[in-house]
Amino acid sequence: MIAGALLFVLLAPFVGVPAVVLLQRLHRRCAAWGAAAAMAAGLAVLAPFVPRVLAGETLVARWQWLPEWGLDFALRLDGLGLLFCGLILGIGLLIVLYAAYYLPEKDRLGRFYAMLLAFAGGMLGVVLAENLLLLVVFWEVTSLSSFLLIAYKYEAREARVAARMALAVTGGGGLALLAGVLLLGQVAGSFDLSEVLARGDVVRAHPLYPVILGLVLLGAFTKSAQFPFHGWLPAAMAALTPVSAYLHSATMVKAGVFLLARLYPVLSGTEAWMVVVGGVGAVTFVYGAYVALRKDDLKGLLAYSTISHLGLVTLLFGLDTRMAAVAAVFHIINHAIFKASLFIAAGIIDHEAGTRDMRRMGGLLRLMPWTGALAIVAAGAMAGVPLLNGFLSKEMFFAETIGHPAFDGAARYLLPVLAVVGGVLSVGYSVRFVHEVFFGGAPRDLPRTPHEPPRWMRLPVDVLVALVLLVGLLPQVMVGPILLSASAAVLQGEVPAFRLAIWHGFTTPLLMSVAAMLGGLLYYRFRHVLFALHARLLPRDGGQMAFERAYRVAELAAMRAMAWLDPRSLPAYLALLVGFVLVLGVWAWRGGAPADLAGPLAWGSVDPLTGFGLLVLAVGAGGTVLLHRRPLVALMLLGVAGLMVSLGFLRFAAPDLALTQLSVEVVTVVLLLLALRYLPQVTAAESGAARRWRDAVLAGLGGLGVAALTFAMLTRPFETISGWQIAHSVPGGGGTNVVNVILVDIRGFDTMGEIAVLAMAALGLHALLQGLRLPPAAGVASAQPGEGLPVMLAMLMRPLLPLALAVSVYIFLRGHNLPGGGFIAGLVTAIALMLQYVAGGIDFARARLRWNYVKVLGAGLGVAVATGLGSWVFGRPFLTSTHGYVDPPVLEKFELASAMGFDLGVYLVVVGTVMLCLTELGAVSRSGRVGG
Amino acid sequence: MNWQLALPEIFLSCSAMAILMYGVFARPERSFVMSSMLAVGALLLTAMLVLSGTPGVGYNGLFTVDAYSHFAKLLILVAVGLGVVMSLDYAEHANMQRFEFPILMLLAAVGMMLMVSATSLMTLYLGLELMSLSIYVLAAFARDERRSAEAGLKYFVLGALASGLLLYGVSLVYGFSGSMSFAEIGRAMADPKTASPGLTVGIVFIVAGLAFKVSAVPFHMWTPDVYEGAPTPVTAFMGTAPKVAAIVLLVRLLSDPFGALLGQWQQLIVLVSIASMALGSLAAIGQRNIKRLMAYSSIGHMGYALIGLAAGTGAGVRGVLIYMLTYVFMNAGTFACIIAMRRQGRNVEGVSDLSGLGRTDPAMALAIAIFMFSMAGIPPFSGFWGKYFIFTAAVQQGMWLLAVIGVLTSVIGAFYYIRIIKVMYFDEPAPAFDPRPASLSFVVGASGLFTTFFFLFPAPVVAAAEAAAKVLFR
Repeated sequence: MIAGALLFVLLAPFVGVPAVVLLQRLHRRCAAWGAAAAMAAGLAVLAPFVPRVLAGETLVARWQWLPEWGLDFALRLDGLGLLFCGLILGIGLLIVLYAAYYLPEKDRLGRFYAMLLAFAGGMLGVVLAENLLLLVVFWEVTSLSSFLLIAYKYEAREARVAARMALAVTGGGGLALLAGVLLLGQVAGSFDLSEVLARGDVVRAHPLYPVILGLVLLGAFTKSAQFPFHGWLPAAMAALTPVSAYLHSATMVKAGVFLLARLYPVLSGTEAWMVVVGGVGAVTFVYGAYVALRKDDLKGLLAYSTISHLGLVTLLFGLDTRMAAVAAVFHIINHAIFKASLFIAAGIIDHEAGTRDMRRMGGLLRLMPWTGALAIVAAGAMAGVPLLNGFLSKEMFFAETIGHPAFDGAARYLLPVLAVVGGVLSVGYSVRFVHEVFFGGAPRDLPRTPHEPPRWMRLPVDVLVALVLLVGLLPQVMVGPILLSASAAVLQGEVPAFRLAIWHGFTTPLLMSVAAMLGGLLYYRFRHVLFALHARLLPRDGGQMAFERAYRVAELAAMRAMAWLDPRSLPAYLALLVGFVLVLGVWAWRGGAPADLAGPLAWGSVDPLTGFGLLVLAVGAGGTVLLHRRPLVALMLLGVAGLMVSLGFLRFAAPDLALTQLSVEVVTVVLLLLALRYLPQVTAAESGAARRWRDAVLAGLGGLGVAALTFAMLTRPFETISGWQIAHSVPGGGGTNVVNVILVDIRGFDTMGEIAVLAMAALGLHALLQGLRLPPAAGVASAQPGEGLPVMLAMLMRPLLPLALAVSVYIFLRGHNLPGGGFIAGLVTAIALMLQYVAGGIDFARARLRWNYVKVLGAGLGVAVATGLGSWVFGRPFLTSTHGYVDPPVLEKFELASAMGFDLGVYLVVVGTVMLCLTELGAVSRSGRVGG
Repeated sequence: MNWQLALPEIFLSCSAMAILMYGVFARPERSFVMSSMLAVGALLLTAMLVLSGTPGVGYNGLFTVDAYSHFAKLLILVAVGLGVVMSLDYAEHANMQRFEFPILMLLAAVGMMLMVSATSLMTLYLGLELMSLSIYVLAAFARDERRSAEAGLKYFVLGALASGLLLYGVSLVYGFSGSMSFAEIGRAMADPKTASPGLTVGIVFIVAGLAFKVSAVPFHMWTPDVYEGAPTPVTAFMGTAPKVAAIVLLVRLLSDPFGALLGQWQQLIVLVSIASMALGSLAAIGQRNIKRLMAYSSIGHMGYALIGLAAGTGAGVRGVLIYMLTYVFMNAGTFACIIAMRRQGRNVEGVSDLSGLGRTDPAMALAIAIFMFSMAGIPPFSGFWGKYFIFTAAVQQGMWLLAVIGVLTSVIGAFYYIRIIKVMYFDEPAPAFDPRPASLSFVVGASGLFTTFFFLFPAPVVAAAEAAAKVLFR
């Protein structure tokens, strides 16, 4: 029952959002009725529960949301929630009515009511939430929808800036609140309000209490426009008056103090609470009241007055006595009522007179007597005139300032004096509001001649001022019960006995009130003196301008910083990357357990010959880098380095690798030379010396780092896999050449992949270069066919070809047991063929070698795959190898493994790849079809 | 051998090959749309295979299927699917409707699925490279356009360096621990006899290589340039699925084999996370190009996701997964809107081009607003929940500083997201965009609905993420 009702109250406004958008198509009045229905329905549904809540019950309804997580979608209705629901929905209804008249006829109202309802829904969510996270969620909903409401007149730049500022301040505060609530839930062990409220002691004793308090208060203070976060509220006066009347008097700004009230049992009761909340409240109370008087804009005055009154409520919570909390709740009610009516009245005046500038008004009471009278009564309540509701709560406030336990000695006068000063200031601006607008001569050049508004437009003021009077005259009857139950909800315990009455006898508070009244009148009378002093001594206040300026400065600073952080250049990125990696590497080594770079193994020794080889290698590698702008020289040095590497392989007993490396070197040099034909002989240095030094340092450090790590790794005990390979080479693969057995048998599948990649690379090159024609780079002699070819070499090469081919067959066949194999044989064959091209010229060679190398590639891959599949025929997995010995006539006995077929595939692919690259690259500068 | 474990991956690879064959032989003018459709179908079937798969370890410990990889794979498949759909219309306008496009995305998807199932450094590297190589090509796919070619080249050069770094790290780890398998490495780490600073260096290099893919500071440099230069659907793709794969892999790597060294990598992740959040939010402020802005925003988001990893708990991992889920949808939706920003057939990318969109195209403006609010982490949108689970995990571990910095940077970040909303709703309207194709509307609508209503039904997603996280932290 209660669950359904609460859900209905919460959802009704949200359902109304699309409804009013649709209804406005019928008529703007339909939209108004729709919005009113959503609010009224909420009130009607809540009505049956009022007696139970007033009796002190807390009604909770929950639905599973994230059950494993202990998060429920839970709503709660207690005295405080009921009070706020009443304010939100009751005043909301009046605002709906008012806005229908306030907004111009041509506005269809749908958009306005949709936003208003979304906001009302958000507010209801905040006050009804049982789960703290839910509260934050709806808190942000109010920030977002208020942003849209303030910017309703988006054509006006002022409204846009104000909306952005309001969103930035309150939304930012909301995120702080989120952080605070997360911590609070963590510390209290639950997000359920009922449980959190019961664990105040735990929270206050926790070391994180100051952080939680700070974050939550940041949320509350930004929302309630407390000093120094108050700037957005006066700026938000650019919004439509119905919006101001609703958001900035009764609801949105009250959310902050609502939060203080909600979490009062958890967070209050410490010195930090009293100092921060009380201090901020007191400063805001006096500051707001002082600035209010200086505002010429009707709504500006009301805005600062709101700030001041919210400060008063905050101060009351900060006083941290039980009675002060009751007074705070009471003042929340009173302020909502009289301030809403004042805003609405201000809107009517603005609407009728066409301006909000008080300096141009005067004597309006004659022109609009009824509205004027109502506004004067409401302003009286704002000033705290007896018989009106504002007087009662102000009286309670004065009473609480006297004899506060935290102040003694001379300090005990501090609070009462502050209260009276604040009172004087508020009387001052109230008097100004009444005097300048309704009395004091005739209006000066108003755009329109004001008269009484339509009856229905004035109805909200009628109702609210009637409440001001009723509460003022019959407080116990009107608000006694709800105040009691709301205070009980705030205090979560015994509510001190209080008596709401107009007359308490001649007491000190009454004296203070009288003093404030008289002081206020005097202050208003001599305000010009003060203004002059202010203009001389204090700077202009411009919260909004400051905000905008800060925004621009931040944007500029961010852009400056980015220009520096984000140079958009690849070399810079690379340098950064390498630099960071170096730092990380050093950090990681030093961060771990302390260890020497050198491990336990012996370093070994280097004989002079090897040392010399290493030196040549280093010179070759370094020279390549240094002379890379002269490609031909660099290529030669690269060849030196390659040669040293292959000698190194030989030195460390890896003849296979040496052979491979050697043939690869030859092929590389030839192919690179072909490619270099199209590049300039010398390239100019484009980077400055500083950058080259930076890069050199980075590269040097990187090299040192890698060397150090390799050293560290090699000097530690390490079990290699080569033992296993050697042990299994003969029994498993039938060959004594381990390298070859690994290639074609043990890791045959890898080789399969590799030759596929080789073939693909060659095909890719073929596709890229086919049809491409480039002139050689400047400075490279372009040889005519047959011209300048080395005759001697050509003559020598032709008979050498069969010999070379025979060698390659020999290497291929013996590969399984002695250095050699398909890969090397392929390279040898390719070199032999390549020499024919080099010596005889491309036309000569092409006329004789009419092979299509693409097909050679395909054949190679085909043979390799077929060998692999062959083992399937015998029911073994792919590429399983078998071997046996054949003893052919003439030749020596040699071993024939099935892997040999695979090796043949490798051989063909290598030949095909190299020759394809060669013929394609060689033919780029020639005309005609290439590639066989 | 339980080869069916990799059935989804095998199926997807074979589908990619089959579509490739189709593309080669089909008529060129139809092949793009048709192969895209086939690709989406293949992704759907793969997702079903993933769903029907059973957990287990196969291929000699190289490959693992568990709740964790399930979650990540489904997310990746959804993200890739959205990517393919988003590129349909764009490719036709940008004159890049070649059938290789969806195939490269499928191959990248295979790579990513391998990554999230990897329990060996070998599988890890293979998956990573398959993904990266596909994306290098995709980034330069509009090869007639200078910016795209430049983006592809930059990404390739830097990416190759990062891959090299990762590989070097792998070899160091192998050298010092003697194994590639996560389980074996884990044992070597835990044993003080075999643990050595060399291992730490190896880990750091691997983390750096992965951080590059995640585009976390300080390995983020490529992101803005590549995001801006690559064709927009490719940017959208890069911003979603690969990020998921890389971060999921990073989480598994650091919590499974390197879990014993929590104390050492934790500081690194915390630093990276803070730097990413700070840079992401500060740098986005001054950006005028919306793709560049999204690049910085994604850097920031990765910073948030890494908070969950830094927490080093099951709750943290759960947070990471949920964060990535919400991130994928926000990002896909936003990019679908960016792709739809086209006037007279030409794509525009300036934030100012969105001026007055609230009046010229209210639906799209609303969608962008939802995505922006969600990215800013404002409740009730899904982005808030991602942040919520992340921050809670950090707070539970007592990492207050991280959580507080996270909140601070999200406040700063909220500025630029809200600026976009301000431009859309309050600035003078620019000329309207071309009509939005149905494929983009679909992506925008689906992402928008998810982002908005996630808060109503988070329980199943959270439960799935919880189960996934339990795999790593029991």
